[in-house]
Amino acid sequence: MNAPADTIAAVATPRGRGGVGIVRVSGPLVESIAKAMLGTCPAPRYASYQRFLDAAGEPLDEGIALFFPGPHSFTGEDVLELQGHGGPVLMDMLLSRCLELGARPAHPGEFSERAFLNDKLDLTQAEAIADLIDSGSEQAARSALRSLQGDFSRVIDSILDDLVGLRMYVEAALDFPEEEIDFLADGESLSRLDALLDQLQEVFRKAAQGTLLREGLHLVIAGQPNAGKSSLLNQLAGREAAIVTDIAGTTRDVLKEQIQLDGMPVHVIDTAGLRNSEDPVEREGIRRAWAEIERADLVLLLIDDETGFVAADQQILDQLPARLPVIRVYNKIDRTGHEPGVTDDTVYLSAKSGIGIDALRAKLEAAVGYEAGTEGLFTARRRHLRALEETLQALQRARRQLVDYQAGELMAEELRQAQAQLGQITGRFTSDDLLGEIFSSFCIGK
Amino acid sequence: MKYPESFDVIVVGGGHAGVEAALASARSGASTLLLTHNIETIGQMSCNPAIGGIGKGHLVKEIDALGGVMARAADRAGIHFRMLNRRKGPAVRATRAQADRVLYKAAIRGFVENEPNLKLFQQAVDDLLMDGDRVAGVRTQMGLEFAANAVVLTVGTFLDGLIHIGESQHRGGRAGDPPAIALAQRLREMPFRVSRLKTGTPPRIDARSIDFSMLETQPGDEPRPVFSLRGSHDDHPRQMVCHITHTNVQTHELIMEGLDRSPMYSGVIEGVGPRYCPSIEDKIVRFAGKESHQIFIEPEGLTSNEVYPNGISTSLPFDVQYAFVRSIKGFENAFITRPGYAIEYDFFDPRDLRNTLETRFVPGLFFAGQINGTTGYEEAAAQGLLAGINAALQVQGKESWSPARDEAYIGVMVDDLITQGTLEPYRMFTSRAEHRLLLREDNADLRLTETGRRLGLVGDEQWALFNAKREAVEQELSRLHDTWLHPARLSDAELAALPGAEPTREYRLEELLRRPDMTYDALMSVAAAGPPVTDPVVAEQVEIQVKYSGYIARQREEIAKLQGQEKTALPDTIDYADVVGLSHEVRQKLTEHRPETIGQASRIPGVTPAALSLLMVHLKKIASRKQKKSA
Ligand SMILES: Cc1cc2nc3c(=O)[nH]c(=O)nc-3n(C[C@H](O)[C@H](O)[C@H](O)COP(=O)(O)OP(=O)(O)OC[C@H]3O[C@@H](n4cnc5c(N)ncnc54)[C@H](O)[C@@H]3O)c2cc1C
Ligand SMILES: Nc1nc2c(ncn2[C@@H]2O[C@H](COP(=O)(O)OP(=O)(O)OP(=O)(O)O)[C@@H](O)[C@H]2O)c(=O)[nH]1
Ligand SMILES: [Mg+2]
Repeated sequence: MNAPADTIAAVATPRGRGGVGIVRVSGPLVESIAKAMLGTCPAPRYASYQRFLDAAGEPLDEGIALFFPGPHSFTGEDVLELQGHGGPVLMDMLLSRCLELGARPAHPGEFSERAFLNDKLDLTQAEAIADLIDSGSEQAARSALRSLQGDFSRVIDSILDDLVGLRMYVEAALDFPEEEIDFLADGESLSRLDALLDQLQEVFRKAAQGTLLREGLHLVIAGQPNAGKSSLLNQLAGREAAIVTDIAGTTRDVLKEQIQLDGMPVHVIDTAGLRNSEDPVEREGIRRAWAEIERADLVLLLIDDETGFVAADQQILDQLPARLPVIRVYNKIDRTGHEPGVTDDTVYLSAKSGIGIDALRAKLEAAVGYEAGTEGLFTARRRHLRALEETLQALQRARRQLVDYQAGELMAEELRQAQAQLGQITGRFTSDDLLGEIFSSFCIGK
Repeated sequence: MKYPESFDVIVVGGGHAGVEAALASARSGASTLLLTHNIETIGQMSCNPAIGGIGKGHLVKEIDALGGVMARAADRAGIHFRMLNRRKGPAVRATRAQADRVLYKAAIRGFVENEPNLKLFQQAVDDLLMDGDRVAGVRTQMGLEFAANAVVLTVGTFLDGLIHIGESQHRGGRAGDPPAIALAQRLREMPFRVSRLKTGTPPRIDARSIDFSMLETQPGDEPRPVFSLRGSHDDHPRQMVCHITHTNVQTHELIMEGLDRSPMYSGVIEGVGPRYCPSIEDKIVRFAGKESHQIFIEPEGLTSNEVYPNGISTSLPFDVQYAFVRSIKGFENAFITRPGYAIEYDFFDPRDLRNTLETRFVPGLFFAGQINGTTGYEEAAAQGLLAGINAALQVQGKESWSPARDEAYIGVMVDDLITQGTLEPYRMFTSRAEHRLLLREDNADLRLTETGRRLGLVGDEQWALFNAKREAVEQELSRLHDTWLHPARLSDAELAALPGAEPTREYRLEELLRRPDMTYDALMSVAAAGPPVTDPVVAEQVEIQVKYSGYIARQREEIAKLQGQEKTALPDTIDYADVVGLSHEVRQKLTEHRPETIGQASRIPGVTPAALSLLMVHLKKIASRKQKKSA
């Protein structure tokens, strides 16, 4: 079976291991990527301490580089491993440099898939790899979705629609020259293209600044009224961000605070206490709380230790999405005298006094680390930025082809590339039926 | 009776698909029989008398490169040539010719009769002979049995053909020809998925009744293009002009009034028609805001008074046709010689075909042309050629051949058909080809002649012409690459005449030519850049290759990345229920389409990259198991 011809890269850091991260690259471009990032290609299978350089030749980080020439490597292809100090943010920069140098982000399970296809894994592992691809692609879809929340995905969808619309005009001009329309010559294509470029530049700017693309983990604090959710938010944030009172139903709106855990941004989200309420304002708050839970990466279910885990808590637990990891947090141990402590899925603490908060923090750090073999949030974000950049470049080339050279067919080619790139963000790959759009929009044909 | 002689390949149908199929089969060495209703209608153009156009011209040039005859016949019959998109880029330029029907048919008849390995027989075919699963020959209307190792069916619009004019209907294969009803019934008994399509044609008009003085004329293009590598202007008969007129508000009113008696709108026609070739009633209903539609008035031939009013295809009742035609400028006194009509016919879901156009269910049986859901002479001819050569290869025990999507429009068409199927008559457009910049008319010969030669389709004369061209192109390309030009060697006048920014240092000629505003001729006006090639075809080819080189390289890279997928076969025996991890939806799609390769699977809507990975892992698993067993 033919080995795939492209080069893939991903961050591969074992779960919960803060401090060290590995960027792994596999494929034919490995040597040239190594040369660009390290200055030289390291000796095979020999760990060497190196500086990892950015495009300007400035060090991004330093660490251990390992080069395994194919076929004697994990995947059977040339493989490069860069082990850096950095937390996820630095890892992301290393990955992004590899992508700049021609690699593409690996699909979930793709390293193992290549290893298997190149006879590096035995038959008994085939099922496991299939599982990895399957569950991995589901997770990737989910993390893409998370990163694509709200505005961003709507904006991308609408740009994609406009792009398809523009392509329709251009293709119609190329395939139907005998009709009484020429959208290339009459300025229609150019004005549409310029509008697209404006939109895309705006999106790119925002996305690069992080205002549209969500980054970091979403941690939602949920529970009954008065369980101490707002108190916990304040404790984690280190400031009095939320109002705390002893009135049940204090919090109405959704409150977000960004904190750092192991160098990774985490959004802590305080929500209205969950109960049946007749008050329309509170009901809206509760609806919003559930909406946040839908998008969460992790839920802290807050339980008042004074009452213990009661039927109402069980009800909430039952309503949480099955896929969602949940940590049960028993609060107010300063009152009950419970020892602070952490087990697999419970934590005992006091949000008010701060006892047990460090243990919670440690537990969260373990949970937010990259999960080996799956696509983390950063990779998803990185992919999207990359795709946006390439789309933008393709559109700029398209403009040059149209304006400077009147080369409609080359413009069309750039638009095709642009659509393919943009489609990767939302997963809308299928060739939208361009001809169909043409026939339903214009009266064409003799 | 059993016919005493048996054949390697039998081709049923003498349309455009049948002709190319029979010739390809015969040329590659298989003894071939062409069986058709009527020898006089071999090569007949059922509808408009034109060959080529965007996407279609590309197909014609590919057929030519593979030794087919459509291009040569079009050169001998063409009375009005155009190069469409001349001002747009080379990839979308396309040749189109109005053809004299009589000359076209005569040219085709000549090719068919002069092919040594090919015999003709006139009879309707009613039945297929089987040997187990395999096809073994055909039985004709009078019970005559012909044995063959392979059969190519190219029966066009004839299967259970039903002609509509207004509220009247009759059975027919096209105006004036009988339908194929027994054969249609027989095929419906087989496991193929069958449905109905529809197409239509405009009324024809006697040119003597048209007032051309009021109409815009459209002369052919100069320089006049030629279709075949072996063709020249000497082949072309006398040239004619076309005219243009338009429908108007009154025309549209007349049509709207007759709509309740239109078989399209009363629901009598169930077959789906082509959206890009709508009937005039369709255009008026769907685009009610448009007050006028363009009509090209195309002569049917040098010796005929009939013209083809391109743009008013219709199946309205004759009285409505009569009235609306006469409402059009120039047609006030028009005399209609043949009414317009629509025809419905059976076609087979092309997803039941392999990429050689052999049917999946009946080994040795091939389908080509309109019966696969396509429309158009060129589409039919291209499929005919492919089916014919593969039938012959199979009979001779040789490996099959089918071009990839990046090699030929023929490849794009066949891949589209077998992976996506079709819901309406399929016509070629350049936007169907993702590698459009590689698939140009101008390089069809460079892409395919060598393969044609290897398959035995390309004769010595064509081969020699082709090699001369190819060598000249290569030589000139390397000359441009190896020759450096220093600005000091240019006279002031030459420098001034050179388009674009003045060169400031020494450049390769190739680099200079790649500049946006530069042309080969402009560059060669510099004495030190010469000597130029004299053949304009070679010069054009060199210029295009140099100008497109960046894009060509990028597309090639894209193709190389997908090679692995395209080459990885999915065995017929694969059970998608066994593939771990596939979603129910993907499983269903794959089972329905049964792609032959991973590449084909990737083009089925809904099949995700993850699903492809799962398939690759599954294939590897099967392969390793097999290896283990045999070890
Ligand atoms: C009314 C009409 C309108 C059309 N309009 C357009 C158009 O606008 N644009 C366009 O591109 N194309 C149009 N076409 C389509 C074009 O004519 C066809 O695509 C093309 O001719 C198909 O070629 P073919 O070889 O598949 O079949 P055909 O050209 O139909 O040839 C079929 C051949 O098979 C023979 N045959 C059939 N059954 C039997 C049998 N049982 N035994 C022996 N011989 C048999 C017939 O005699 C005939 O020779 C139209 C066709 C018709 C009839
Ligand atoms: N003693 C003690 N009191 C606490 C602790 N955590 C919260 N409280 C008290 O419990 C009450 C409710 O706390 P909040 O943080 O407002 O609770 P909440 O879950 O946000 O409540 P709602 O917003 O109404 O759903 C306040 O009076 C807090 O001071 C704790 O750890 N110990
Ligand atoms: Mg609160």
